[in-house]
Amino acid sequence: MMNKTTKWILWIVILATVVSFPKIFGIYYTNVCVLFAIFALYSVTLNLLLGFTGLLSFGHALFFGSGAYATAIALTRIDGLPLLPAVLIGGLTAAFFALITSPLLVRVSGTAFAMLTLAFGQLMYVFCLKFRDITGGEDGVGGFPIPPLNIPGVVSIDMTNCTNFYYFAMVVLGVSIWILWFFTKTPLGSVMVGIRDNAQRVDYLGFRVPHTKAIIFLISGGFAGIAGAIYALLQDIVSTDGVLTIFTSFMPIIMAFIGGIGSFFGPIYGSAILTIMDEIITTYTERVELVTGIVFILVVMYAPMGFAGLLGFIKQKWLSRPSAKTTVEGAS
Amino acid sequence: MESTIAMYVAQSLNGLSYGMLLFLVSAGLTLIFGMMGILNIAHASFFMLAAYFCHTFLKMTGNFWLALLLAPVVAGFFGVLCERFLLRKVHAFGHISELLITVGISLVILEGVKTFWGTQPLLVATPQSLAGFVLIGDLKYPIYRLFVVGLAFGILGLMALILYKTRLGMIVRAAVANADMVNVLGVNVPLVFMLVFGLGTWLAGIAGVIITPILTVYPGMADQMGMDAFVVVVTGGFGSLIGAFIVSLALGELNSFGIQFIPKLAPVLMFAFMAIVLAFKPMGLFGERG
Repeated sequence: MMNKTTKWILWIVILATVVSFPKIFGIYYTNVCVLFAIFALYSVTLNLLLGFTGLLSFGHALFFGSGAYATAIALTRIDGLPLLPAVLIGGLTAAFFALITSPLLVRVSGTAFAMLTLAFGQLMYVFCLKFRDITGGEDGVGGFPIPPLNIPGVVSIDMTNCTNFYYFAMVVLGVSIWILWFFTKTPLGSVMVGIRDNAQRVDYLGFRVPHTKAIIFLISGGFAGIAGAIYALLQDIVSTDGVLTIFTSFMPIIMAFIGGIGSFFGPIYGSAILTIMDEIITTYTERVELVTGIVFILVVMYAPMGFAGLLGFIKQKWLSRPSAKTTVEGAS
Repeated sequence: MESTIAMYVAQSLNGLSYGMLLFLVSAGLTLIFGMMGILNIAHASFFMLAAYFCHTFLKMTGNFWLALLLAPVVAGFFGVLCERFLLRKVHAFGHISELLITVGISLVILEGVKTFWGTQPLLVATPQSLAGFVLIGDLKYPIYRLFVVGLAFGILGLMALILYKTRLGMIVRAAVANADMVNVLGVNVPLVFMLVFGLGTWLAGIAGVIITPILTVYPGMADQMGMDAFVVVVTGGFGSLIGAFIVSLALGELNSFGIQFIPKLAPVLMFAFMAIVLAFKPMGLFGERG
């Protein structure tokens, strides 16, 4: 464990970087950074299922996509909808979808869970393609107004400005990630890890496993919806190919795995690594996913604990002190 | 009145031919599931790979039959390579790692296909000898689709013969039921795994080749077929060949008549079917394991 002062210095450095980022790197990289933060939250919600509860979801795009669509549609249809309720609508819609799919999903685990989530994700994709009156079919929903952040009587901040939006997105995503981190530290969070390790025993201890799974699913889905909502606001267009394809479901899995599923912060590292990798690869070739796929296979084969696991390993090896503890929280 | 009957006949034949193709793909998938306990996400990618190989072989030789023979074998060979050098390495890490490796393989194949063949749809002409129509009553029906049904039934028969009448088939069935036990009895189970994986991808490859004259060859073709095959395996029961056969045909017909009567909801019907089955039988119609 790092001592208190190093920890504080680290946080101050991170905060200073986040605050000064738009000034230093310019508009393009500011947007890239928002995208990184969106996918960081998205893959953290997935890791809540994969790393902490041991449930592999192949249909997480269902929540990301429905959050994005809900926000986009709400902003198109409702005049003068303020910003925060619009984001909230995204999160709540996604949580609602988590709620209605959970009765089937909590009964299964392992491969069956993966396949069922895959099916639900595809179902949503098909629905959004077919019901073009609401969702615009292949064209998606685009060009909706981005409302300003309005605190009545105090200030109204224009969100079409990239820098302002960057700060807004960073605060929303940062707070969401913090809430999720806090959640993993609650007793319910411990039950979650218990379900991963030995569901039968948790059941025997008197916890209701299906109900707990449903709550975790709801939280995971809801926050994925918030990530989707911010994504919709960033892009100002939502389409099935952008937010609901199977690749949108695979993306957070790949990020979580490259970063390390054993750690809460792993997916955030993963999102950073993939974002940086994307930026570098696009300068050489168009086929970014080819390289991503190969890196992913290599990580699954040779570094199953991902970057966070590697970090912990290095820490243990070179900085080993008697009290040395890895960053791996409840390693699987 | 006559035309209504003709429509019903045509639609049910269309459903039958799609159902048989679906069975070719899902038979391999369900066998692989039975042995390894994972659904091979990349399975449909091999189906697509074979279709692209077919297009290339056709361009090189101009002979459809040669392509039909070679392309699935090459796809199966790729499958064997993936099993031997990727899947087997992570077998010890458990099912989730294996599942994720297949996700990685499917990504790499998809992007590889886009790199080598481009993203434009490619057309494959129906072979000359099967290009005509056949008269069923008043109905003109393409010979090629009947050929598809016939070929699929032929392969099905061959597979049933191998699986239920030979020693190899017996070992495979035993390994599907309980791989550890078979291993203990002195059979080289990893070799059997590799063989079944190769066979499964070969079957998917055949489906990929014979679907090319009906469909165009494009990078998204794996998605549709892959989803349908997953639904078949999940609904039919993991690892059950009979379940896969029955559900394939049912889905083929459901799809075909769904498009005829409720085009807007046709793709949803399949999932609804699966959800209903799973709500009452979580292991699938003929499944014994989850």
